[in-house]
Amino acid sequence: MHSKTASLGAQRAVTVLGVVLLIAGWAWAARGQPEYVLPGPVAVLQAVARFFYEPQLMAQAGISLFRVVLSVVAAMILALTLAGLVRRFSILDETIERRILTFFNAFPSVGWAILGVIWFQISNTTVIFVQVAIILPFCLINALAGFRQIDPDMDELGHSLTRNVWRRFRLLSLPLVAPFLLSGLRVAYGICWKIALVAELFGASSGLGFQLSRAQSVSDATMVFACCIVIVLIFLVTDLLFLKPLVQRFSANQ
Amino acid sequence: MAKSGAGRLSGARTTPSVPRLIGARHFSGTRIAHLFTLLALLVWWLYSQVVPVYQMPGPGAVFLRMIDFVTSTYLLSQLWVSIYHITVAIGLAFVIGCVLAFMARFVPVTRMLIDTVLTPFLNAFAGIGWLFLALLWFGLNHTTVIFAVTMILIPLVAINVRAGLQELDEDMMEMGLSFARSGGRRFTKIVLPLLLPYFFAALRISFGVSWKVVLTAELFGGNAGLGYLLNVARQEFDTETIFAIIAFILVFVVICEQLLFRPVQRRVDRRFSRA
Repeated sequence: MHSKTASLGAQRAVTVLGVVLLIAGWAWAARGQPEYVLPGPVAVLQAVARFFYEPQLMAQAGISLFRVVLSVVAAMILALTLAGLVRRFSILDETIERRILTFFNAFPSVGWAILGVIWFQISNTTVIFVQVAIILPFCLINALAGFRQIDPDMDELGHSLTRNVWRRFRLLSLPLVAPFLLSGLRVAYGICWKIALVAELFGASSGLGFQLSRAQSVSDATMVFACCIVIVLIFLVTDLLFLKPLVQRFSANQ
Repeated sequence: MAKSGAGRLSGARTTPSVPRLIGARHFSGTRIAHLFTLLALLVWWLYSQVVPVYQMPGPGAVFLRMIDFVTSTYLLSQLWVSIYHITVAIGLAFVIGCVLAFMARFVPVTRMLIDTVLTPFLNAFAGIGWLFLALLWFGLNHTTVIFAVTMILIPLVAINVRAGLQELDEDMMEMGLSFARSGGRRFTKIVLPLLLPYFFAALRISFGVSWKVVLTAELFGGNAGLGYLLNVARQEFDTETIFAIIAFILVFVVICEQLLFRPVQRRVDRRFSRA
């Protein structure tokens, strides 16, 4: 059972074949089914295309993207602050790791969504509050791990080379912590798209989550499919264009 | 890693971590953490005195509601329904996720299909999407909930088990090859035990995620379970019940984490540390 490998060409062929088979199977299953049960690939593709030329749908996707990015940045800043506190005052680590982290980790996401609506009504604040609350634990775990990984010897070396705190942070701490932060950022960004859309179902009257719930309430399965695929597309494209290069840049720095 | 018992493992991390020794500092750290908990409860209570009760009920009211919860058989039965949903979904996700991961390893031609198309696609697909599709296909029932949770868990299991398979020690495999020619024996005696830490990590992550997700699924697509109760309470602006259910889940998850996963993780770490 030693690791076997297949030639790249064969793998590629199977991949293409597999995808084609899956889509063909989908088309076959959808044949004869009413549109509200299982729309065919063509209908879904047309609906996805609408996101590229209808300004109203584009705006829905844009506002979701905007909220997700804002939430991820806010959650990361919060997590960094908390992890920084642990590093500066190590006595707080029990409080932050076993109280705050545990609390946020165990809190159900729908709970945040419902409470967000009760507290802030339907608004952008609600959505961002809920998304930040959901992804905060993921950011925090990575930020804590990153800061813990800093080699004390390195830190000492930095101390002996410069007294300037900002320079030490920029040239030493940041490059050391960056790989962890960025992988946390990537995970949080993915989760934000996947789970935090719940926030928009309850707390917004715009965005892809709202679009999804509206499509579901009128049994528009084509639109539900299309929204899901648009989300996958946005996630993959932004990940490929921004996050992956960022991760690679900083891991090369190591 | 000799005396792991004295070590402390942090919350949701899945990689084996290096335990630290408990010193005097740790003790006062615990004290500060308790103090923080009390302070948070106090702030909650004070705040609940100023705002209307439908926005923020106080800790006392929520606690009383939780007691109702434990004593009422109806509410307890809903809790069992949620646990049933989670158990079935985790079981199914494990079977399908493992099949994907093992196929990628042992049927090499499918590797690219699984690693670069199927798993990333499943991983990027929104949970709500599965839920709404299931609603359209199956209607309001157990199947919808279990389907949605399973689909969300599959990529998590597949990614973890796949990582384990990729880390398999080639020397170990070679040693196995020199001891036994039977593929089945090598599989059960070497591959499965080496994968154990990864199975466990997958289980731990799945458990945490499924609790969060099952509520959403039941809220939209269920006619029973804690999420369903949450939906009823939401429509009636019964914030006390909402808080009580959330508090209940918090307690349940933390207890499982402390009493079940943490000790097992410690044993797994001790058994599999290569130090």
